[in-house]
Formats: sequence, C-alpha cells, structure tokens
Amino acid sequence: MNNHKPIRILLAKIGLDGHDRGVKVLARIFREAGFEVIYTGLWQTSESTMYAAMQEDVDIIGVSLLSAAHMTVVPELAKYRKKLGIESTPILLGGIIPAEDHDAVRKMGVTEIFNPGANTADIVESINNLAKNNTVPPRDTLLDGYANADQAALAKIITQMQAGENLTDWQPPSGHVPAGNATVIGITGAPGVGKSSFIGKLGAELRRRNLKVAVVAVDPSSPITGGALLGDRLRMMTGKPDEGFFIRSVASGEVQGGLGPHCADLVKLLSGFGFDVVFLETVGAGQSDVTIRNAVDHTMLLLMPESGDSIQYSKAGIMEIATHFVLNKCDLDGADKTHAQLLSAVGEDRPIYRTSSVNSEGVPAIADWITSLR
Amino acid sequence: MSAKPTTNDSTPANVDSNPFVGPQDLANFDPEKSLAEPGQYPYTRGIHREMYRKRTWTMRQFAGFGAAEETNKRFKFLLSKGQTGLSTAFDLPTLMGRDSDDPLALGEVGRCGVAVSSLDDMRRLYDGIDLSKVSTSMTINAPAAILLAFYICVAEEQGHTPDQLRGTLQNDILKEFHAQNEYIYPPRPSVKLVIDTIEYGTKHMPMWNTVSISGYHIREAGATAAEELAFTLADGMEYVKLSIERGLNVDDFAPRLSYFFDVHNNFFEEIAKLRAARRIWSNVMKNRFNAKNDRSLICRMHCQTAGVTLTEQQPMNNVVRVAYQALAAVLGGTQSLHTNSMDETLALPTEGSVKLALRTQQVIANETHVTETVDPLGGSYFIEKLTNEMEAKAHAIFDQIDAMGGVLEAIDRGYFRRAIAESALQENKRIESGQQKIVGVTDFVDDEEDHQVDLLKITQKTEDAQVARLKALKTNRDQQQHADALANLKKTAVNDQNVMPALIKAAKADATVGELIETMREVYGSYDGGPEW
Ligand SMILES: Nc1nc2c(ncn2[C@@H]2O[C@H](COP(=O)(O)OP(=O)(O)O)[C@@H](O)[C@H]2O)c(=O)[nH]1
Ligand SMILES: [Mg+2]
Repeated sequence: MNNHKPIRILLAKIGLDGHDRGVKVLARIFREAGFEVIYTGLWQTSESTMYAAMQEDVDIIGVSLLSAAHMTVVPELAKYRKKLGIESTPILLGGIIPAEDHDAVRKMGVTEIFNPGANTADIVESINNLAKNNTVPPRDTLLDGYANADQAALAKIITQMQAGENLTDWQPPSGHVPAGNATVIGITGAPGVGKSSFIGKLGAELRRRNLKVAVVAVDPSSPITGGALLGDRLRMMTGKPDEGFFIRSVASGEVQGGLGPHCADLVKLLSGFGFDVVFLETVGAGQSDVTIRNAVDHTMLLLMPESGDSIQYSKAGIMEIATHFVLNKCDLDGADKTHAQLLSAVGEDRPIYRTSSVNSEGVPAIADWITSLR
Repeated sequence: MSAKPTTNDSTPANVDSNPFVGPQDLANFDPEKSLAEPGQYPYTRGIHREMYRKRTWTMRQFAGFGAAEETNKRFKFLLSKGQTGLSTAFDLPTLMGRDSDDPLALGEVGRCGVAVSSLDDMRRLYDGIDLSKVSTSMTINAPAAILLAFYICVAEEQGHTPDQLRGTLQNDILKEFHAQNEYIYPPRPSVKLVIDTIEYGTKHMPMWNTVSISGYHIREAGATAAEELAFTLADGMEYVKLSIERGLNVDDFAPRLSYFFDVHNNFFEEIAKLRAARRIWSNVMKNRFNAKNDRSLICRMHCQTAGVTLTEQQPMNNVVRVAYQALAAVLGGTQSLHTNSMDETLALPTEGSVKLALRTQQVIANETHVTETVDPLGGSYFIEKLTNEMEAKAHAIFDQIDAMGGVLEAIDRGYFRRAIAESALQENKRIESGQQKIVGVTDFVDDEEDHQVDLLKITQKTEDAQVARLKALKTNRDQQQHADALANLKKTAVNDQNVMPALIKAAKADATVGELIETMREVYGSYDGGPEW
C-alpha cells in the first residue's frame, strides 16, 4: 500500500542559537531533491519538534543542533517521540557532535549524524534509503486509531489520502467516517498577506475558548522537482504545542486552483475526528482560484494596506466568492485608505475586519464570531 | 511580493578572462579623485596618513568565559598585563534578552559568555575595575540599550558620570534581521531602540562608540563579499538617516559609528572590499548626508578572519588560512583585528591556539615589513580595478534597496535573507561540484584522520548558582519601586520617547533584562523573522 508520494522531512532547530545557514541550505537542497520540507523555524523545543513530526507524518526528522547540547537534547527528543507514538520515525542529527559522543547519541535514538560540511548528496542518499524502510501500518490499525482519537493515526491517514486515496477508501468496517460538525473556514489571499500568521493568532484565540482547531495549509510544489518548502506551520506554532491545535502542511502537487490533493476530503476527515473549527489555507490564490468555495462554509479573503489598486480592478473572481474580508497588517501605514477602497468596492453587505498579527488587534472579534457559530 | 535576489555574483571576483590587468582596465580612473593620499578624502588608501608606521592596528581578541566572577578575574589579569581594553561576550540567553532562570535558557547559562540578568550581575562583572580608566566593548544587540543602562549605573556607583566612559556597543540590530537572528521586536521598534542609544550617547557619552555596524555575520551566513559590503553600508546609512530624522546633527554622532567586516579567503577581493568601503562611506557621508567634520567621513573598521572558512579536517591548515586573511585585513587598512583560533570550529578555543592566533598578527606586524609603507597595493591595476568593481556592485545593490523603499522595506520583503541564503546555496554547490576547492576537505584529503578535540564541558554549577542568585534578587527587591519603574518604562515606550532614562531608573530598581524586554514587548510586539523563502 506504499503509494508513490514525495518524501516528507521535518527540519527543526532547537534552542536559542540562531545560526541557520546550514538548515536553510539543506532545505533548498531537499526541495531540489523532490522532498517536501517542513521547516519549523528558530527556537523550537524537543516537544514542539515531535508534535510537528507527528502531525505532519514525516518520513524523517532532521534536527540541527549547533550549541553542543546534544547530550541533553537527544534524550528529550526520544522521550517525546515515544510519547507521541512515532518511535519508528528516524532522527537525523546535524551539528557539531564530537566523534566520542556518536555511539551514545545513536544509542539514545539517533539514526544518522552529519557534521557541518557533510556532503549534501550523501545526506540526500541516506534519507532516500531510510525512507524506503518506512512502512504504513495496516489500514485497520489506523482506522482504530482514528476512532480512538489517535492523532498519529489521523496523520498517517492524511498521508495516504494525499498520495491518491479518497475518503471512501477509508470507510471503517463499522460504517463511515463520522461527519463531524466542524465549522470550516477557508483562508485565502495573496502570498505574504499574512494568512498563516493570522490563522496562528486566531487559532490560539479559539483555543482559549476551548475550541479544538485543525488547519490544512497548502503551499506550492515545484513543478520541476515535485519538492516543496512548506513554511506555513512555522508562522502558526506560536504557543506551546497542544493536542487541540492540529496543523497539517500540504503541498499543492499538480493540483491547480490554490488547494492540494483531496483537500475537501481532508477537511471532512478532520471534522469527523472531532475538531470544532477547521481552517483551510490556500496557496495564495490568484483571481480565479475559487475552488476553495466548494470545500468550506465561509471564505475569508485577506488583504493588506496598499493593496487598494488590485481591489479596484478585481471585483470578480475571488472578491466575489469571499464571505468575509480581513484587512490584515493594520499595524502598517495606509490601512485607512485601503479600508475605504475596499468599502467602496464591495459595499457593506459582507463584514470587513481589521487585524494585525503583530499586536493581535482585531483577532478576538473574529474569534467571537466563530464561537457564536458553535 | 517577492523581491528579486541581488546580483548574485558569487563567482570568485578575480576570475577574469584576461591573464592580467593593465591600464586599459582603468580607462576613466582618476587617482586624484578616487584615491588621493592616505588620510585624505575619499580615504580609499586608509584613514590616516601614517597608518601602521605610527601605530599598528589593535590586536583585539574576543572571548567569553562563564560566570561574572570568572570573567572579572580574567579582566583583572588582562589589566595587570597592561591591556586597557576589555571585551565582553555575553551568553546566549542574555543576547536573546532572557533571564538566566528562563526555561529557554536551560543549559545555556554562562556557556559562551557571561550571564547578565541584572544590575547586580553587571556590578560583579566589573567589580574593582575603574570604569573611567578602561575601554569596554560589549557584543550585544537586541538588549543593548539595557546593558548600556546597567553599565552606566555601575559607573555611577563608582562615582563616574557617563561622559567619562569609553567603549563600544555592537548594537547593530539590522544585521540580526539579515543574518544572525538575535532579534526580539519587529524591525521598526528595534531600530528605534538603536537610535535611542545613539541619541543618548551623543548627548551624554561623547567618548562612547554607539554602533559597530557589522558585515561579519552577514558574510558568515553566506553573503558574497559585494553583498557584505553593500548590505552593511546600507545599514549604516539607515542609522544615519534615522538619527538625523531624530533631530541629531550628523557631525555630532557620525564620528562614533564604526564598522566590523569579515575577511575571507579571496585575498585581493577582500582588500578591495575594505578600500571600497572607505571610499563609498566618505562619499555618502559627504554628499548625501552633508557631513562637514572629517571624522564623520572616515570608515573606521574592525576586522575578523572568517570563521566559516575554517575546517574541522586537518585543523592545522586553519592557521595558514587565518594568516592570509589577517594579512589581507592589514593590507586593506583595518584599525583592529581579531584572528580566529585554529580549533574553534569544534569548540571554544584552547589557550594555546588563542595564543597562536595572536602570534599570527604579531608576526605580520613585526616581521613582514608590510607596515612600513601605507597602502602598498594602491595603484596596482588589479587592486584598483577590483576596488572599482566592488564599489559598482555595492551601488547596484543600493539601487535595488532604494527601489524597494529602503532597508526596512527590504527586510519586510525578506530581501536580505533570501539573497544571503541563495548565495550560501550557490557556494555550497560550487564546493560540492569541485569548482571551489578546500584543502583537506575536497582535495588533498588525508585517509586516516584522527580528530582529537577537547569539547568544553559544561558545568551545571555556574548555572545553578546564577539562577539561585537571580531568584533571591527577584524576591528581595523593593517590589513597589520595581513595579513603578516598569510602569514608567512602559509609559515611555507608549509615548515613543527615548527609553534610556527609564531603563537606567529601572536598572536601579533591580528590574531584570527579561522583565525589561517583556515590558517593552507589550508595546513593541514580537517578530517572527519575516519572509523566509
Ligand atoms: N507587519 C505585519 N506583518 C505581518 C502580519 N502578519 C504577517 N506578517 C508578516 O508577513 C509575512 C508573511 O506572513 P505569512 O503569514 O507567512 O503570509 P501568507 O503567505 O499569507 O501565509 C511574514 O513575514 C509575517 O511576519 C501583520 O499583521 N503585520
Ligand atoms: Mg502561508
């Protein structure tokens, strides 16, 4: 049942150290090698890293450690990997690890060690070989897990669906995936407008109101290599990792229109799992990327200050299908002007929110609205 | 949204189709205008007429060691040996504005430098050292204003006023956004804090160097020489522009700005880079910012050999690399120099290798005779052509930055990070394809190699003692005074006033680095690094 799918790898930097030259070079090399790369950014903990690995169902966990803290960090990694039920996922460690510690580090659960300057072709080959050994648990085991709220099982089912299976392929013997009753909200808008950061803030706000949140975040795949740099997650994971905030990064693959393979089914799967709110973040839709409408209950279009000109010329398409408008980055200059342009373009029938992820302005009001739907 | 990467000219600069350079390559070159004499505008040939004939560069070796007491002991030792400058390295939590008892500080306290969370830590760090007599450099950026406030308070307790203090604060937040990642707040409030310290320093600390504008970390993160040059000078211009907007007179603060460059392997390119830096800076200061004082026009610089070029394999080769890089810095006319130790790719350097690094400089200064004539390479067709090319590349990059609206806008778009990461990737590819050789790594590899490295063993004791002391301080201080001081700081930040006086007041109320940072965060917000890819 091992479908053809790109290798997924997590790249994590743990601790306060900010030297990221190595991880960034690797992230690019891995994309060129056709991998889907989830980079979680700076200042991660062992716990947040393993949560990411579990929810993203990666084939390989790559950890960069430059601060010589390996003897304390590796046991922590192993502990959370076990706790989250992904013990078989290999850990690759990059950084300054003295030879005398290699055996100890391997015993603690690391599969491969690469010192700075290691040949990247060797690293890619090692990943390819390790990923070959990964097996998918039997379907019934996964379905049992899904029914018992096991997120690791959920994450693996998502992977299978991404690789080409439909929701109907995942009917439990007892019937079908429960419908759930999640409120599904599409988040769209140009790349860089702040969609992922906004979901991060809004998600945290909803968690404070005890709603369980899941996110499907789509980023583009390289049309040439099939690889992808999936960078949405790093904007969203601001607080402590949390079972009630499930984030899944998806590569668009060959799917056009701003979504990835089977996103509508994914949303149903998450709803059935018991999440209260499911966000679906698009690639950064173009004017005609309106397929999202079919997968969601509400569509929020994010705009930012100084994007007024594009509003004027684009009343059709994405502007038409949006049910809510969010003028994000209101901490920047020019918000009032763009707000006025937006008002004159779309009228007052649909709500216009003003937000900023820098100071969380405006986000609680949207959380209030979502809570009122529940 | 996405900005085009810079002229990603990562090809080694002096690979030319011609085997040699001649007068035809300097067709429109006017030595009167572009070079003049050393010590004369545009200072291409050096900032002083006599340069090293009168006084060699300062050999400044930077290092960090553990707890305040240990560092204090080392300082006193160095002072007793006749050294007058102290260089202070802080540990990672302090650099990130976190107290020693912060959960994220665990395992990092006092490891790569000294932990300073409170005025009391600073007091113990400089205990028994007369701060009116020494010059202190502090490598600190995001929390620089806070550490400066602590320093001023310690001096005041010794009976000295700020105007008696001499030293340097690195205080260059812009390069943190481009490269080193030790930022806390978003770019605009972060830069506002830098301008606060420039304003305070200009008014109260005339002998204090307010910012050391740094290309070093930009280069180490992967930038090309031209990118290092251009990004760093662009940062410098941004500080000047904003300080003038603050209402300061350019000639009052500009003489207190200095530069910090990396010196890499490409020998002539590096020399050209340093010469171009001086020419560009003097032109910009004179023509764009209308500086009148000669001291505002000169680009004073500190240089350091390139840590990224050192290899773990055959570490003795690093001694040779460092020596050539150091020679390039000297031929490029640096004011001070740090030479890396051969074994520091794997750990903090041993005492023997630190000494060898210093000796490397001393050999250049005392045995090679390169110090006897100023700018000995000046007028070489090749060097002048390279210097012109460096200048032209820098201007092309300035134009790109201007087209985006300026340095801050370019940060918003991820321009610098993307350009640097792209250059790092290109270099990696050149190395792995065999186009760029590294002796002992890509070529001339030893089969049997035994890397024996002594890694610094961390003692948990230093950390535990520091955390306990900090906890006691937090319990025993005057809580009312402390709360008032933080409220006052917040008000100052909200009202967009200079925070220095409020920080000094709060330092005296035993507010900690972490508390001060968090108080300002309520006003300034957090930064997530900006666009990444
Ligand atoms: N000033 C400001 N920057 C923001 C805000 N929200 C996001 N950003 C920045 O915009 C960039 C893109 O954000 P991201 O959430 O990845 O955008 P996406 O591509 O739409 O998902 C990042 O550098 C964020 O730091 C905001 O409210 N204000
Ligand atoms: Mg996004």
